[in-house]
Amino acid sequence: MKFKKVMASVLAVAMAASMMTFTVSAEETETVSLTVWGAEEDQTLLQELCDNFAAAYADYAVFDISIGVESESTAKDTVLTDVEAAADVYSFASDQLTSLVNAGALANLEDYAEVLEAYAGKTLDDVKSANSEGSVEAASIDGSLYGFPRAGDNGYFLYYDSTKLSEEDVATWDSLLAAADAAGGKVGMTLASGWYNASFFYGAGFTTDLNDDGTTAIDWNGTSESGYTGVQVVQSMLEIAGNSAFMAIADGDISNQIASGDLVAVVSGTWDASAAAEVFGDGYAATKLPTYTIGDEQVQQGSVAGFKFTGVNGMSENIGWAVLLAEYLTNEDAQTQFFAQRESGPTNLNVAASEEVSANIAQAALAEQSAYGVVQMVGDKFWDPTATLGENIAQGTLSVDDEDGIQEALDTMVEGVTAAVE
Amino acid sequence: MKKQKGEKKGNIFTDFGTAVVKGDWAVKLTLLWMGAGYAKRKQYGRAIVMTLLEIGVIVFTLRFALQYVPKFNTLGTVVMEKVFNMQTMKSEMNDYDNSFLILLFSLFSFVIWFVAAAVWIANVGYVYKLQLKAERGEKLNTFKQDIHSLVEENFHITLLSLPTLGVVVFTMIPIILLVLVSFTNYDQQHMPPNSLFTWVGLDNYLSLIGGGGLTVTFSYAFVRVLGWTLVWAFFATFTNYFGGILLAMFLNSKWTKWPKFWRTLFVITIAVPQFVSLLLVRNFFSNGGIVNTICANIGLTGFLRDIGMISTSYIPFLSAPGWAHVMIILINIWIGVPYQMLIATGVLTNLPADQLESARVDGATPAQIFRKITMPYLFFVTGPTLITDFVKNINNFNVIYLLTEGVYTTTNQLMANSQAKEVDLLVTWLFRLTQDYYNYKMSSTIGVVVFIICAVFTLLAFNKVTGGAGKESDYA
Repeated sequence: MKFKKVMASVLAVAMAASMMTFTVSAEETETVSLTVWGAEEDQTLLQELCDNFAAAYADYAVFDISIGVESESTAKDTVLTDVEAAADVYSFASDQLTSLVNAGALANLEDYAEVLEAYAGKTLDDVKSANSEGSVEAASIDGSLYGFPRAGDNGYFLYYDSTKLSEEDVATWDSLLAAADAAGGKVGMTLASGWYNASFFYGAGFTTDLNDDGTTAIDWNGTSESGYTGVQVVQSMLEIAGNSAFMAIADGDISNQIASGDLVAVVSGTWDASAAAEVFGDGYAATKLPTYTIGDEQVQQGSVAGFKFTGVNGMSENIGWAVLLAEYLTNEDAQTQFFAQRESGPTNLNVAASEEVSANIAQAALAEQSAYGVVQMVGDKFWDPTATLGENIAQGTLSVDDEDGIQEALDTMVEGVTAAVE
Repeated sequence: MKKQKGEKKGNIFTDFGTAVVKGDWAVKLTLLWMGAGYAKRKQYGRAIVMTLLEIGVIVFTLRFALQYVPKFNTLGTVVMEKVFNMQTMKSEMNDYDNSFLILLFSLFSFVIWFVAAAVWIANVGYVYKLQLKAERGEKLNTFKQDIHSLVEENFHITLLSLPTLGVVVFTMIPIILLVLVSFTNYDQQHMPPNSLFTWVGLDNYLSLIGGGGLTVTFSYAFVRVLGWTLVWAFFATFTNYFGGILLAMFLNSKWTKWPKFWRTLFVITIAVPQFVSLLLVRNFFSNGGIVNTICANIGLTGFLRDIGMISTSYIPFLSAPGWAHVMIILINIWIGVPYQMLIATGVLTNLPADQLESARVDGATPAQIFRKITMPYLFFVTGPTLITDFVKNINNFNVIYLLTEGVYTTTNQLMANSQAKEVDLLVTWLFRLTQDYYNYKMSSTIGVVVFIICAVFTLLAFNKVTGGAGKESDYA
């Protein structure tokens, strides 16, 4: 049976091949199979873009591109489970870059620069200069680019209800909380996450960085360049968290809390734009994060500038074509479409400067906050200790007056964050 | 193998020894060519099967095993290197080593060789027995008769060979692999195929118990997680067990109206998939969930704040140690009691009626009957499930993970530094270490410890129950 089947297919292929030689002259067109993973909401658009890609390069090869669903936020987990079985081209959130590179799951794009020049007619430097500086920095390790920047909307800012809060109110945390209290509402923010609570530290001039061995460098238990101590920052956070108008929201619970209607202002990102617009109605407004008080000074709260990248699997078989496809899915045209169809904030400078993007309330606030945004370079060990510090602040287990206690907590956290990767 | 009358009962090795010493040339040749002995006795079918088997093992060894086994002591030395080729648009790779494949396929080869060696030893012994049979002038089976015997007197071999193979492939090999990984440094810094990992001896076990190693806080977290795992397993098992029995007795009581209605109501909790109900309950009891809203509205939250039980503006049902521990056990009662109720109901309907009757005639109170007859009987019948429940609860991933993931953030910094939480069981901690941190070496080490704990508890408890609790005749 099996033998017959094999024979039949061999004959069929042979016949097809002999016919081909008559019809398509002698030139052979090879079939290139590629797999692309993207978010569920992006599937239609990805299909469209992939079809365009196949048409654009039809002279060189026949493309068989299959598209699978894998959210940017969970790409790392799936890819690292079996790198060789993962897609050739996939999108991921910027904080996953290091782990993916360490596991060899991302190709160093510098090695494939000549492919871009030969086929797409642009150099890697063209790609870098077309996108925002922050996005390129976040996609690079030691000066080598590991992913094509596609979206720059993975950051947070302040949504508020302008019928209850004025523009002056949202300028500082003190006035914001006082006004919210007067309006009978609450101001929500996630503290138990190193992605959110880092904003206070980055604002005060503290830094994080990634060492070559994958460990994290962090200075939050010392004194920052701006002359503030980590203890002072924690004290300010405790003052905010202890205010009765403040609501500490668990990581991932923000959308639910917005929907509950108790909030008049909330720190979140573009993914909550429609939820906020619905609840705040006519009062829907967004702006940069407020300043907060250290001693008698006002410090602008920083934020994390997060990105979405499209990268190429280091183990990809047709890696040259995969690089071209990844570039194609993130170029100016693609980003224009991503904004038009998916409201995804662009990293491409031309698209970002377009009228449509600047007219969008959430995108405008994001752009405003991005002046204070920091590219968060951290290793995996960063997250649990910083989340725990945030939870301690949220629950008030630390006391504002106990400077030694705060210092000790910061020291323990730094110890955990800087621990060796295993 | 059937024993002949008069032959001494020896084990496989003494049989082998005797065979080698006393066997004729054909038996001795069987050491090299496994079909030799059969060929001499004109059992050509067997000779062909054994020869094919031998060739199979040799080919497997040369073509497959020797690619991996020689590297087993280092787990590979050649790191992957790639060069991009513009012509083919593909990366060309060197002949790199993949530590994981080396480990897995070496183990596989060892298992094959072990089985082959056992067959080889048994084969020589068997061939010698054929020689003895032939010398006594007995008739030897033809190949047809051999095959036939597999569906007749040797049917057990036919029946059991597939399950045995399944156990080896799907249970034995993964467990041994887990144990082997716990002696390596397979983690995020050493992930194949991009990089290699290697043997590190007992380092991982030392870090687990705090004797040096990599993370100081790992042993701190391990002791606490282990403690809660045992506390949880104890309470989860016994609250469900007694809760289920009490509930079953209430429903069985003659004073209960509409018992079927109530029973159905409880069984509905089983009918809803566990993870749906758990996630819902998690949302109910979250910091901003509906229960907290109600408590705040009726003033309970304020009251607890006033008496100093909480310091937050919400009741941390699932987000503070202590609170979360108690809540998890309570929610588990809600989920688990109906199962136990069903089991207990079944057992209760089989209570020996004559004993109950005579006890009542003798004037025993209901409490006495419960203590002296109902409970011992129930315990005797359901004792073994109590043990399996306990072991199951040690590994009860669902309840803990679904109730606390995303809700519970530890405030204990030393735990956080080892990616653990106060409410973690060993198995949920292990899951997070693999899923989020790719720390396979420590996960395997914890896995081995869980395995040992479960094995010890099972052995102890089964000995106790089957040995001490009573004989069936006590209740007959």
